[in-house]
Amino acid sequence: MRRRLVLVGAAVTALGLVAGCSGGGGGPDSGKTTLKVAALEGGYGRDMYTQVIDAYKAKNPGVDVQLQISKSIEDEISPNMKAGKFPDVVVLGQGRKAALTETLVKDKALENLTPLLSTKVPGEEKTVGDKLTEGIVGNLNTNPYGGGDTYLMPMYYSPTGLFYNKGLFASKGFKVPATWDEMFALGEQAKAQGLPLFTYPTAGYLDSYFFALLADVGGEQFYTDVMTYKQGVWQTPQAKQVLDITTKLLGYAAPTTVGYANEQDFTKNQQSILENKALFMPNGTWIVGEMKDAPRAAGFQWGLTPLPAVTAGGKRYITTSVESVWIPSSAGHKDAAKDFIAYLYSDEAAAIFAKSNAIQPIAGIAAKLTGENADFYKVYEDPAVSALVGGFASTAPVEGVDIKGTLFDTANSVISGDKTEAQWQTALDEASEKLRQAGN
Amino acid sequence: MTAAAKRRKRGNGGFVLACLAPALVLFAVFMIVPTVNVFRMSLYTWSGFSPDMRFVGLDNFRRLLDDDQFVRAFQNTVALLVVVTVVTMGMGLFLAAIMTRQKLSGRNLYRFVLYVPNVLSVVVIAAIFSAVYDQENGLLNGALRVLSLDGLQQVWLGDQRIVLYSVAIAMVWQSLGYYMVLYMSSMSSIPEELYEASSLDGASAGKQFFSITLPLIWQHLRTTLTFFVMSAVNLSFVLVRAMTGGGPDGASEVLLSYMYKQAYTNSSYGYGMAIGVVIFAFSFLVSLLVSRATKREPLQF
Repeated sequence: MRRRLVLVGAAVTALGLVAGCSGGGGGPDSGKTTLKVAALEGGYGRDMYTQVIDAYKAKNPGVDVQLQISKSIEDEISPNMKAGKFPDVVVLGQGRKAALTETLVKDKALENLTPLLSTKVPGEEKTVGDKLTEGIVGNLNTNPYGGGDTYLMPMYYSPTGLFYNKGLFASKGFKVPATWDEMFALGEQAKAQGLPLFTYPTAGYLDSYFFALLADVGGEQFYTDVMTYKQGVWQTPQAKQVLDITTKLLGYAAPTTVGYANEQDFTKNQQSILENKALFMPNGTWIVGEMKDAPRAAGFQWGLTPLPAVTAGGKRYITTSVESVWIPSSAGHKDAAKDFIAYLYSDEAAAIFAKSNAIQPIAGIAAKLTGENADFYKVYEDPAVSALVGGFASTAPVEGVDIKGTLFDTANSVISGDKTEAQWQTALDEASEKLRQAGN
Repeated sequence: MTAAAKRRKRGNGGFVLACLAPALVLFAVFMIVPTVNVFRMSLYTWSGFSPDMRFVGLDNFRRLLDDDQFVRAFQNTVALLVVVTVVTMGMGLFLAAIMTRQKLSGRNLYRFVLYVPNVLSVVVIAAIFSAVYDQENGLLNGALRVLSLDGLQQVWLGDQRIVLYSVAIAMVWQSLGYYMVLYMSSMSSIPEELYEASSLDGASAGKQFFSITLPLIWQHLRTTLTFFVMSAVNLSFVLVRAMTGGGPDGASEVLLSYMYKQAYTNSSYGYGMAIGVVIFAFSFLVSLLVSRATKREPLQF
């Protein structure tokens, strides 16, 4: 009797294993298309995706949408992708540690989405391209190879810049600096009161700072030159000026910055803004939600300002972080995937996303915002301020060269005095040159 | 041997093979194939996803020699290997000798306390040490402040000259209990008569340790040396990844964390595998050298 039980148990286990292995296939039954959507669970949460998908399914009874969502979605979908099983739609931006999006861009493994721009949004009159904010497509973020073809659709956008405590500025009588001269004057003034001017969570957060500063100093053409590794671009006077300003700013960094600039402790650097231990830090609008439970100084209120202008009245850029949605070129249901993406830009979907503070780059959406968000998105209204999207252009991978690391992480060494500005410039020049050769 | 016995032996062979086959297949699929693959991939340029794999021969290895970050990671790994091994082994032996030879009261409690870190997850250890090393309210700097030794306060995880040693201390803390228990078990198997006889001859505790204890547990020591090599390579990766992320500015990067960065973040899978091959060769070589260098005629009691 007992032996039979054991045998039955073993058989059941074996069957379970077999069933488990074959479960992933999911054959097409009753003619329904199964659309596999993978999304990063970011600061906006996961409810908005399930709501949008429910709304989509209600309109398209012939499509079944499977959502896979996780805070580390790369780890969950990439093993399957290596085995040749691709999701149909992926909502995942660039700049993540696992760099899945960047890797696929480098591999030219994304579907060309240019036709999608002239597709009508399901149930509406306008096309997707008409609904988008001007200038949000056509940059290196959406057209990573620099041409006219769009491979990544902009999904949510948010301004990044220098965050500070409005309450502290009001009580101390500080003015938010409009030029770098004013910035450094404020630095001296604050220093006299024992207040450091600047801190950053980790050096990686300097991305928004550098991109904006490069464009502020040398204009958009210069910014694009740097991002596309133009020969000798780091030896130009503009590049020197960018590093000059940065080195000077890092001289005003809070003494605790480098010690906390790691994965474990970066929130302590963010905390120093909340507790009035530093004036400015580069960050994104997610900071409000991220630090919402943290203790703070009395009268604390988040403020966001673009980087100061290089010359009085000069143009200021605000680095805008854009999450992307894309289709792997090996996806099984590309047409259904395109229809689904077009739906994501419908008024119905946008309203659901906006409820979770996920703001899509749809023209006219900023007017509907409330609270702190309304304040943050107001930075775009200043005529002297322009949005800046993008990032370093993709090249074939170059072994051992990481220009982002060279540009951002060296800040830690500059603060501690382990590296000089000249070494920084040389290292950037070398990295940029190696990438240029790989790109062409 | 009779014919019947022969037959039985053959019959056993088939049965043994059938029993071993699943294990062998699993071993081949999960150990041999991936290892061979690491070696094969190190000769290619591949981003990790695309079907586009290019054979580049030894180019990846040639590039490693020019890669300052790689050299730094290598140096850091070697430094950790030496420091952690020497300190852990020295302290482990010392503590084990005290615990077994001296009749300390409450030694079971000490053993327990020292062993606990070994059971903790590395992420927990990273969190604990991030609290210990905190430059403002951390245990370490706080204690120094109370003792009026403010001059000795350091930014433990932010200073490029110290950060590696901060990681080393965490590694020692984590593994000390494990090695101590290992050494204790081997020491307690040494017959008590040897110590009694030597103490009648007037040998001090120190003399006993070096002339009796150490030679008799020598084989166990050699075994643990191999463990040290492995843990310096593996444990340092998890700890660095959770605690410093290789920073500030690459000052605490170790070989495996650099390999991960190259293979995944920098989409240079082939290059990462070349680093993997170097790690493999390095660990293998060091283990071999250590094992050769410590070879002695085994002493028995």
